[in-house]
Amino acid sequence: MKARRYFLLCICFVVSAFQFTEKSLFFVPDTWPKPKYDFSKNPITESKVELGRKLFYDPIFSGDNTISCASCHSQYTAFTHVDHALSHGIEDRIGTRNSPALMNLAWQKLFMRDGAVNHLDMQALAPISNPLEMDETITHVVSKLQANNLYPTLFYRAFGDSIITGEHTLKAISQFMLTLISSNSRYDSVMRKQANFSEQEKNGYRLYQQNCSSCHPEPLFTNDEFMNNGLPTDSTLKDYGRLGVTKNPNDSLKFKVPTLRNVEFSYPYMHDGRFKRLSEVLKHYTSGIRQSNTLANVLQKPIVLTSNEKVDIIAFLLTLTDKSFLFNPKFSYPRK
Amino acid sequence: MKNLSIIFVIVFVSSVRFISAQTNTAMYISISPTYGANVVDLADSSFLTNDSNNLQIDVLKFYISHFQFLKAGINVLEEQNSFHLVDASDPKTLQIIILNKQNIVFDQLDFYLGIDSITTVSGAMGGDLDPTKGMYWSWQSGYINCKLEGKSKLCSTRNNEFQFHLGGYQSPFNTLQALEFPISNTEHIHITFDIKKIIENINLATLNHVMSPNNVALQLSKTVSKAISIK
Repeated sequence: MKARRYFLLCICFVVSAFQFTEKSLFFVPDTWPKPKYDFSKNPITESKVELGRKLFYDPIFSGDNTISCASCHSQYTAFTHVDHALSHGIEDRIGTRNSPALMNLAWQKLFMRDGAVNHLDMQALAPISNPLEMDETITHVVSKLQANNLYPTLFYRAFGDSIITGEHTLKAISQFMLTLISSNSRYDSVMRKQANFSEQEKNGYRLYQQNCSSCHPEPLFTNDEFMNNGLPTDSTLKDYGRLGVTKNPNDSLKFKVPTLRNVEFSYPYMHDGRFKRLSEVLKHYTSGIRQSNTLANVLQKPIVLTSNEKVDIIAFLLTLTDKSFLFNPKFSYPRK
Repeated sequence: MKNLSIIFVIVFVSSVRFISAQTNTAMYISISPTYGANVVDLADSSFLTNDSNNLQIDVLKFYISHFQFLKAGINVLEEQNSFHLVDASDPKTLQIIILNKQNIVFDQLDFYLGIDSITTVSGAMGGDLDPTKGMYWSWQSGYINCKLEGKSKLCSTRNNEFQFHLGGYQSPFNTLQALEFPISNTEHIHITFDIKKIIENINLATLNHVMSPNNVALQLSKTVSKAISIK
């Protein structure tokens, strides 16, 4: 009887320890909305996240085994491709868009700059098969993984099946990406009343609320929608954004609104990476807006900012940098 | 000893269940890709017609999904997780067995040609829906409901090729086709996919490449749905 009680106690302890690990892998920060990702179809477990992390950093996904997801999404630059306006693929082939920063993906519905991908699970298929990026097929990736020494065991540990499938591969990558939560910037500390803004940051925050927050609302700093922000069309890329997906003229020149979190490190900016500095971005919004039929309503009237106000906004934007995210060892290259 | 008797009961009960499963009525749904009166079997080679345009069929793959059996217009039985990729080069895919456990009587079969939009936005899936099956677009999410590829002298394309990859799940280009057929023989249901009915209703000289969700894909999907019949 005593032994049984002891056994039950052990079970309780193991279960609660297990729940603790699960919680730390994915969590909804206080005051944040409900995630859009349906976790019931892909419940988070440690072994799946670890598998996804290994896959994220493995060049096995590219046609010549040279580039991985992390090649264009490196952690220390908020999981984007720093210094490259347009991301490049295998054999130095140049793509047509700036790779987006990856964070808080559970709160996003559509992916890619034009929303062509309808689910986080399916996103990886796009760069894998794009001839300018990884130039591979998911079918061949799965056969390479199956032939690998380690992966069948890791898939067995994660999914209870050592036969590797496209479904399990994609779900594992999603699991890792879902854990990439950035919610610990100085801005967040201020909101939690654990820190204070400087006078300049406070003024920048006020100006952000007046001028930027309708498309980049707190706490995610994006409305997760598609907007035309008045960029003149690049004559070489001729990229009309969401129009290409929906074929609806009302979607011409609309691109996904990116988050402002970690914007200090996610340069260059815009879908084609045309701006290198935050000051150039602000200059665009105050004096570079190109009028067109689909221009966002909130940009119809010009934004007016003095040069001091621009400096204050940038000071505020820098408070959105989350060092604990950018340098979190759980997100880095798995060395073991 | 007590444990042994429990094991015995479990074994006994499960074997009874197994025997009763054997007596369930199995319904055989067979699918025949044809070109008019000829069977199109792509397992070992392409299919050649003897018409003047040297029509050749290389690939025929399509999804049928959501089998629903009706009696007097009311749904009486439906297959769970009902997604079937039919491939004219893989005989295994040309027969589907569905168990009718309670011997339910029906007089109509409904199913979709293609994959519905709710399934399409539900993330990665396995089995016939696994993206490794080559029926999923990568550059823009969505299943390819039907692939038909081949050659014809009518096509002034490279190697006289035509390639139809029909898909699209979002309005106004939702290419999913809902089909319904009256059923008389409920044990053996024979679905025919007659490619000739497609070829005769399109002009291969002007229509030879459809690879994305658009109005042409929508119209052609409607034509393709008319190639399906049940005898």
